[in-house]
Amino acid sequence: MRSAEERIDYYRTAEEEVLAAMRKPRPVFWVALFISASCFALGMGLWVYQMLKGMGVAGINSPVGWGVYIVNFVFWVGIAHSGTLISAVLFLFRAKFRSAFNRSAEAMTVFAVMTAGLFPLIHLGRAWYFFWLLPYPNQRLLWVNFRSPLMWDVFAVSTYFTISAVFFYVGLIPDLAIAKRFQTGVKKKIYSALSLGWVGSFKQWKHYSKLYMFLAAFATPLVVSVHSVVSWDFAMSVIPGWHTTIFAPYFVAGAIFSGTAMVITLVVPMRKILGLYKHITDDHFESIAKILLFTSLLVTYSYIVEFALAIYSGNVYEQGSFLYRLTGDYKYFYWGMLFCNGIVPLALFVRKLRRNIAFLFVLSIFVNIGMWLERFIIIVTALARDFNPYSWGLYKPTFVELGITLGSFGFFFTLFLIFTKILPVVAVTELKEVADE
Amino acid sequence: MIDRYSFDTREEFLGKLEELVESGVPKKNINTFTPYPVHQAEELLDHSQSPVRFFTGAGAVTGCIAGFAFTIYTVLSWPLVTGGKEVVSINAFIVIAYELMILFGGLTAFAGFLFLARLPVFKNVLSDETEFSRQFEITVERGNRK
Repeated sequence: MRSAEERIDYYRTAEEEVLAAMRKPRPVFWVALFISASCFALGMGLWVYQMLKGMGVAGINSPVGWGVYIVNFVFWVGIAHSGTLISAVLFLFRAKFRSAFNRSAEAMTVFAVMTAGLFPLIHLGRAWYFFWLLPYPNQRLLWVNFRSPLMWDVFAVSTYFTISAVFFYVGLIPDLAIAKRFQTGVKKKIYSALSLGWVGSFKQWKHYSKLYMFLAAFATPLVVSVHSVVSWDFAMSVIPGWHTTIFAPYFVAGAIFSGTAMVITLVVPMRKILGLYKHITDDHFESIAKILLFTSLLVTYSYIVEFALAIYSGNVYEQGSFLYRLTGDYKYFYWGMLFCNGIVPLALFVRKLRRNIAFLFVLSIFVNIGMWLERFIIIVTALARDFNPYSWGLYKPTFVELGITLGSFGFFFTLFLIFTKILPVVAVTELKEVADE
Repeated sequence: MIDRYSFDTREEFLGKLEELVESGVPKKNINTFTPYPVHQAEELLDHSQSPVRFFTGAGAVTGCIAGFAFTIYTVLSWPLVTGGKEVVSINAFIVIAYELMILFGGLTAFAGFLFLARLPVFKNVLSDETEFSRQFEITVERGNRK
């Protein structure tokens, strides 16, 4: 139990240290922002180039009509999922270590969904017709096809973005009221307006706690439904390698796995640069490493089950599809994926490595790469080899697709860097609450 | 007249709150300001559940009904069989209804919270009189409130 002085001192330092991150940026921030923004600008430039020249500049073809753009869409939606997991699921389970990560994870969710949302538009080619995806009463009263999984996607992803953004903002309200104390002039007015005049009164907290609980309770099944719907984009078809019942849980586990890795990738440098060692400790990292290990085991198990399903199906096309993954044109990608997602994370069984932050950071990058490869393998290998050898083909991404992929990382990191400067990166209110328990 | 008590710790704050309640001060005259939600204060002052749940429930039910109604209306307004599936494919529409249930439920919960907590408070936005503090505070309104 802390003494009264220690407690007040902790409150003050927690506020000051977390909000110190919002002060004038150091040169390293500007360098990082410049690199990210440049990558983003490159991606946007290439997108414009694609719109001017046509979809022929991308490598997608017949039969591989879904390439890197759809890979990126699935990848970024997956990244988004861990934010909700850390915020909502760990909140419902009363896991205290979430307070170190939840703010950055929620921000990551919102930014990753925004990044993901770009890719269906990029993939459309004529992006200005995106509104055809929306159900509106058009001139001929033709509606969208609600029986199509792609339409489910529109609803799932837009709901996910909206609810994640509301959840993120609701979590921020008390912290914005703290942040306004540290600001002056116009900035103070902006933070005051954003905090809605929050004073932490009895009535405000009472309804706030209920709201937060409901949003967490909604976000949890939402996170499961969104990646299930994304998986059904594939599983609802009859393509060998896609048409399988395991896809929904397999995708959800993969999403949480990749998202947790991305949280580590972002929070390790953030903690170092902003000096948040007191509030994001090695114990916190050890806890999140356990989630990473657990989800890695789930994902590896799914890989095994996928093969088992193919073998036991007795279906020559299914078996051929999986044999192609192991030994075909993209075999190095497949083995790379297994190494990154199944083998390397096993090191986390060793406690020392779970607490080794440098190792965790490197591992998280391996997982990010592995999960991107997984999506590539699922999408491209299945399309490259379907039932009829006459229609087999290969796919190689062009510089436009790779550049736009790089641009998406630029977009995501630019948004995240801006976030670290304008909003409290750790939930100060929750730090105080946890410290008093 | 308003009496104001300020404390550095949660324990002192709860002690005083208990004392005030036991001394017979009407609960409706007591307000608290805390740096984070203190659930023991809720137990002392007001056991009732927050009505946010009614807003959430109403939104969720509306979203679910709207999801089914909208999808069924659109397919019936131009009945076109695609993929050999039934025109009214309830299984497929469950996904839309499910997502709209969560969307409407979440948004009405937020709206309900704003309404019940009487936010935004423009007075606090425009002036800096009241601030969200590090202290645990109790205010007691003396005299009869109408």
